[in-house]
Amino acid sequence: MSKPGGRYTTSVGSMRRGKMIALIFRIVLAIVVLIFALFPIVWVLSASFNPTNSVVGQPLIPPNPTLDNYRALLNDPLNPFPQWMLNSFYLAVLTTIIAVIITTLAAYAFSRFRFNGRRQLLQSILLIQVFPNFLNMVALFLILQQLGNYLPPVGLNTHGGLLLLYLGGTLGVNTWLMKGYFDSIPRDLDEAATVDGAGPWLVFWVILVPLVRPILVVVGMLTFIGIYSEYVLARIILTDKALYTLSVGLNLFIQNQYSGRWGVFSAGALIAALPVVLLFLIFQRYLVGGLTSGSVKG
Amino acid sequence: MTATAQKGSGGASAPPGANNQPNSITGWIIRIAALAIIDAFAIWLVYMMIGDGIWQLATVLAIVTIGINIIFLRPQLYPLRWVSPGLALMVIFVAYPILFTIYISFTNYGDGHLLTKQQTIEQFESQVFLPADAETYNYTAFKNADGDFMLWLTPRGGGQPFTVTPGGEPVMREGEPPAELDGFTQIPQNRLLVELTALSALRFGAEDDSFQVSQQQFGVAAKYEQLFVYDPAADTLTNRQSGVVYRPVAGTWTAEDGATMQPGFMVTIGTYNYARLFTDPALREPFVMVFIWTVLFAALSVFITFALGTLLAIVFDVPEMPFRRLLRSLLLIPYAIPAFVSVPVWVGLLNPEFGVVSQAIKALTGGWAPGWFADPLWAKVGILLIQLWLGMPYMFIIVTGALQSLPTDVYEAADLDGANPWHKFYSITLPLLLITVGPLLVASFAFNFNNFTVIQLYNNGGPPMIGTASPVGHTDILATYTYRIAFASGRGADQGYAAAITVIIFLILVVITFFQFRYTNMLEERGENV
Amino acid sequence: MRNKRLLLLSVLVIGALALAACGGGQPTAAPAAPAVEATVAPTEAPAAETPTEAPAAEAPTEAPAAEAAASTDCAATLTIWADEQRAPVLLPLGDKLKADTGVCLNLVQKQFGQIRDDLKVAGPAGEGPDILIGAHDWIGELVNSGLLAEVSLGDLTDSFVPEGVAACNYDSKLYCMPYAVENVAFYINPDLVPEAPATWDDVKTLSQEIKAGGAKYGYLIQENDPYHFYPIQTAFGGYVFGKDENGNWNPTDVGIGSQGTIDAFTWLDGMYADGLLDRAAGINYDLMSAAFQNGDAAMIIGGPWMLDGFRSAGVPYKVVPLPAGPAGQSKPFLGVQGFMISAFSKQPLVAQTFLQQYVATDETMAAFLEANPRPSAWVAANANLDDDLKAFSESGVGSDAMPNIPQMSAVWSSWGTAMQLVSQGKQTPAEAAAEAQKQIETAIAGN
Repeated sequence: MSKPGGRYTTSVGSMRRGKMIALIFRIVLAIVVLIFALFPIVWVLSASFNPTNSVVGQPLIPPNPTLDNYRALLNDPLNPFPQWMLNSFYLAVLTTIIAVIITTLAAYAFSRFRFNGRRQLLQSILLIQVFPNFLNMVALFLILQQLGNYLPPVGLNTHGGLLLLYLGGTLGVNTWLMKGYFDSIPRDLDEAATVDGAGPWLVFWVILVPLVRPILVVVGMLTFIGIYSEYVLARIILTDKALYTLSVGLNLFIQNQYSGRWGVFSAGALIAALPVVLLFLIFQRYLVGGLTSGSVKG
Repeated sequence: MTATAQKGSGGASAPPGANNQPNSITGWIIRIAALAIIDAFAIWLVYMMIGDGIWQLATVLAIVTIGINIIFLRPQLYPLRWVSPGLALMVIFVAYPILFTIYISFTNYGDGHLLTKQQTIEQFESQVFLPADAETYNYTAFKNADGDFMLWLTPRGGGQPFTVTPGGEPVMREGEPPAELDGFTQIPQNRLLVELTALSALRFGAEDDSFQVSQQQFGVAAKYEQLFVYDPAADTLTNRQSGVVYRPVAGTWTAEDGATMQPGFMVTIGTYNYARLFTDPALREPFVMVFIWTVLFAALSVFITFALGTLLAIVFDVPEMPFRRLLRSLLLIPYAIPAFVSVPVWVGLLNPEFGVVSQAIKALTGGWAPGWFADPLWAKVGILLIQLWLGMPYMFIIVTGALQSLPTDVYEAADLDGANPWHKFYSITLPLLLITVGPLLVASFAFNFNNFTVIQLYNNGGPPMIGTASPVGHTDILATYTYRIAFASGRGADQGYAAAITVIIFLILVVITFFQFRYTNMLEERGENV
Repeated sequence: MRNKRLLLLSVLVIGALALAACGGGQPTAAPAAPAVEATVAPTEAPAAETPTEAPAAEAPTEAPAAEAAASTDCAATLTIWADEQRAPVLLPLGDKLKADTGVCLNLVQKQFGQIRDDLKVAGPAGEGPDILIGAHDWIGELVNSGLLAEVSLGDLTDSFVPEGVAACNYDSKLYCMPYAVENVAFYINPDLVPEAPATWDDVKTLSQEIKAGGAKYGYLIQENDPYHFYPIQTAFGGYVFGKDENGNWNPTDVGIGSQGTIDAFTWLDGMYADGLLDRAAGINYDLMSAAFQNGDAAMIIGGPWMLDGFRSAGVPYKVVPLPAGPAGQSKPFLGVQGFMISAFSKQPLVAQTFLQQYVATDETMAAFLEANPRPSAWVAANANLDDDLKAFSESGVGSDAMPNIPQMSAVWSSWGTAMQLVSQGKQTPAEAAAEAQKQIETAIAGN
């Protein structure tokens, strides 16, 4: 077995000149890309400090910067922004946890077992999830309405119902991604464990899951972001303001084509993005390679 | 010992250790108990639903439950047990709505045809009219201990008041309505509102000559007559005032002379919507151009985001890179901000007059900036630029994750052979990456093929094409173009038509995806022969 | 082996049925339409009620239609869909209604623009409201889909502004009770424009002077917004739909290709050709409004919704009537907002009465005006308009409301495209107008 953490055992002691140049290149590239990625955000930031409700008609440094938009956002009795953040957050966390579990179980099966129709099933899953879902709204509305008659916690205007809808979309592209990652882990490990008498569940849980942590993080982050900023379904299902998620609530500020409160909206969008960035910062340490990591190319 | 894949006929090869011998009795018991609970729950739910007439959802639930049972009871289907939770959810919340959409595509559902036939009949039959010289009355309502009502009616045109009860004859009265009368107590005005619904349902007086409370005006009653009568045998609606008879024709109530009534109702119309797709003149001319651009748009979006994402993932994935984690988190931000915020911001930044980007370009070129919204070519470039910004973080994260799984030994061998970085990337990294990430590229292609939102937010598909039978723009993709036709038709939104369009677009996508599956060799997995 | 499997199956089936029998019950007629059961036992029965009333009602705590508002002591409940600007006025009204009559108001707050789409799904499914607010131009498609019930103004018709009532009219019946009438007017920057221009040709001349004086734009307009362009179009004699002899909109008479529209497009083209507007600028609403605020544009067409922003930013502005054209006064589209009653309401009369007795009053209409400054549809409330709103009101006199017929949906895209092509100089006014006309007629005829 190769040593754990193999990727980063290259010593960093002696930096040759070539490496120095390469490093400078990397840093410059990072700065350029950061500028590209972040400068529109800077405008959003500027709009959030700007009392006029315009997005880009104003210069970058607003002439009369205020914190009014932030104050308005956080103190609005009619629009409980903190409540919305909480709703989005816990809904996204819950969905992510369950979704990651479901996806991992399925990916393991697709990777490790050979059964009839395996490939077809994988492809069908992908194809079903890419069916354009513009018109699903009516069907989903009716489904939840009908379900809600018998199971109130998962009816219309409930977080439970919304959770179910989100979970319906779990099996899909992420399953492929995870399966591919599972594939990259050699079967020798499975076999070694099986020889010792472990069943598939133990192999899965004890041996493999710890090794696929990077992809768990990736799938988790993607799912989290997807649910956190999901708009269409949440808007259809939730009618109670106290239950709104962030996207639906923030949209109230720009509902009117001609009188949108872009300042407040920008402030909200920025605050809303913070947890995502923080989460990713925290979970990145699991993004390090496991047993079979490779060295960097280039 | 190697676990070779048993590619025998029939049956999966359950991995060793999981046969249907209950090697743990507890496992077996748990399985049965869990199934029993699920089945009980499902039986109850299905039973209730069928009792209330909701048979479609009941059927789906029944199928899913039976499927779960089969999966967990047949040992050959062992692998599917791992997939079943996700599968069940997908069937109920994704597959079933798709079937619903397909069903809609065979109907005329849309504005003007939103209701069921029964609902329209009910609406028509609830309409009333007042014959020409009929008298109207002000009423005061009374109620007795048994909950029966009585009306004191005063003709508005003057005359003697009288009281009447449901089924009873009018009794002449005099003067003002008293507080108590014959065991009935007068309902005060402010308490009348809660009784209105009950009052409205009653007919006061003799069967065929009855008074009704007005649905339109508070406090008024008259001998309203039902305007429409539905004859189930002949399946017609007759207007009793004008005598016109209406028959249902393709979801619209039509008279002999062709006059129609609204509302219409939803009805299946076979493949009419699909036929329209092929014969609609509004759809034909620019279709090919729009289709080509849609494919280009999706493919290029995937390509550029993947290229930049991969480049960045590789370049930043070294231990010497400072602030690696912070860098990655910051690069994630464009993906964390919703598109309906960031695209309008970009649109503003690109504006030829006021936008910072255009002004910067003008400074560099001495006054020329691309016509981001007016020029067909630059509009396409502009939208791809925004796509790059939106999609690069996604690819970056995925590739970063996938990179962690690449094996070291191959690279060490390549290093020994003196391979340069580009060679290592092209021959080793890329193929291995594509195996893992390939399906996501396919899915990203499909997503962008239908990326309605970005196209609309950018310029609503513009700049407009000239000389077309219906409004089309140079950046329109199939979805925006066809939905515009369906939703801006002369009668409002035609959902049935839109559903047919959706199905056709999906079929096109399936064909393209099928070739992509082939090409990227995803069916051949790494390690298959291990 | 076989026996084992049979055993398994039978255990499973027996277990499942046993559990189902214990847990389940008769299918309660779970109503597909959870609209209020009016027979819920009134617990606050006034003295006139007798205690034997409706003993068959379910206990309020189990009522399947659990309304958001505390409905345990409501004899009946009216559900209203309203937006965030109407909600604060309706809430106290609901309290008053309950105190007076025992009917509760369940206020559901929605985004204004979503109300129409949600009604289309929720109404037939039984989840819709009794009353909703909406824009008058939704009426055509909603009525055609069987979603609206007739509204009666009773004796109060004269208390409403006639244009407001006319806007609520469809096919000779009334479908809304208006509360606000809004239209665009002309904003000028008094620092740059000392005197309001009288005609559109004056606007052109004035723009030249202003530009020569150093400002970026004299008059500025969005590139692709026919709604804001319409007043100019009417000033030159253009129109959208003609009217038939009953005063109803006539969808076969499309005016986008008419000579008046072509003349208006020609005027617009002239502004670009003379350099008073920039062809490639891609001005949208946001930029136009920002330009006016920054002093980059001296004159724009805008609506009362811009007032709040201008006031709080301290932008110098003045609202004046729109300039006239060769065919007479500019006639902007009137947008009327009003209360409508859902066709699926179980208690239309209660809804109707609530509207007539509680909403159509001086206090309520004045409160609406204060919550969201727009010229009111209630005549008495308009006596207290400030100068700006008065100017808006004047601009709208004699104008028509936006056509509320469903065929209107086929118009916007092509019309906007024509305007855009003229603005970008890609088509002559005549060509653009003719093509839009053709596209619209094709779309309408296709149904």
